[in-house]
Amino acid sequence: MNFSEFQNRSRLYVIGALEPEELEEFEKARKKFGKKAEEFITKCYALHEAFALSLRPAKASAAIKDRLMAMVRGKKEA
Amino acid sequence: MGPTKLIASTRRKPKKRVRLAKSRARPLTVAPQLEPGAPSDLDLMRGIQAEDPDALSQLYDRYNGILKALILRVIHNEAEADDLLQEIFMEIWNQAKNFSAQKGKPLGWMVTLARRRAIDGLRKKQAYARAEERLKNETEQQPDAWVHNATEEEIVLSDTRALIRKVIAGLPPPQQQAIDLAFFKGMSQREIAAKTNTPLGTVKTRLELGLKKIYDALKELRDEL
Repeated sequence: MNFSEFQNRSRLYVIGALEPEELEEFEKARKKFGKKAEEFITKCYALHEAFALSLRPAKASAAIKDRLMAMVRGKKEA
Repeated sequence: MGPTKLIASTRRKPKKRVRLAKSRARPLTVAPQLEPGAPSDLDLMRGIQAEDPDALSQLYDRYNGILKALILRVIHNEAEADDLLQEIFMEIWNQAKNFSAQKGKPLGWMVTLARRRAIDGLRKKQAYARAEERLKNETEQQPDAWVHNATEEEIVLSDTRALIRKVIAGLPPPQQQAIDLAFFKGMSQREIAAKTNTPLGTVKTRLELGLKKIYDALKELRDEL
């Protein structure tokens, strides 16, 4: 696998779309390309942000934050 | 069922571009703009790592809407989405020590975590059929509802978002559909092929081409900002 193919696979990898047989080959290439591969994979995670930001924000129930903060403060005090 | 749309309409164009100052050697990211003087996401993550509840409170205020939208897109149930949102922010609190700024931005980390939890939740409840039915009903009742009901103001205020939407909306519908099923439904290439009655090789090509176009556009956007 050359680096261009690895880049294509990386974008599939970060969204969890690689098939098991591709994953094995991908991991071998990942080791082969080392740091360059890790840096590229990190960049690909920007796709996650992009997909989330492409959605119109939804309003959460006001009670959720109250419950969350009560749990967090309770846990911290425990 | 027609192709599920990943995203947005191109009907409304941003009235003007909001430019951000250039900075050097930042990783590829598309995080929204902050008010001047507001703590950065990284500041807030560090606060959470130091067990400061106020930091979590601020991070919640900043991103609950985005994360809930993501969860809703996966599970299509308002009450379940609220419960899951709470669990996800609790996990952010509990797992903050595992966040590393070297490996990416806080928003990317949170979105990855939220997506995983939402897809797990969907699978655990074995709700594929129900969710698909709901999605089908929603699509029939309100075509493109979530796509078109953003106001002009919201789009103008959210320039980055508008650009991302435009890029994704510019993809051919089969590429949008393949990415939508992979990202928001957690489907494998084989599952997508079966669902869409498309050869596996075609699904792979659609995913690769679509993701590359979005990635390249993000890179350009990053360079412009």
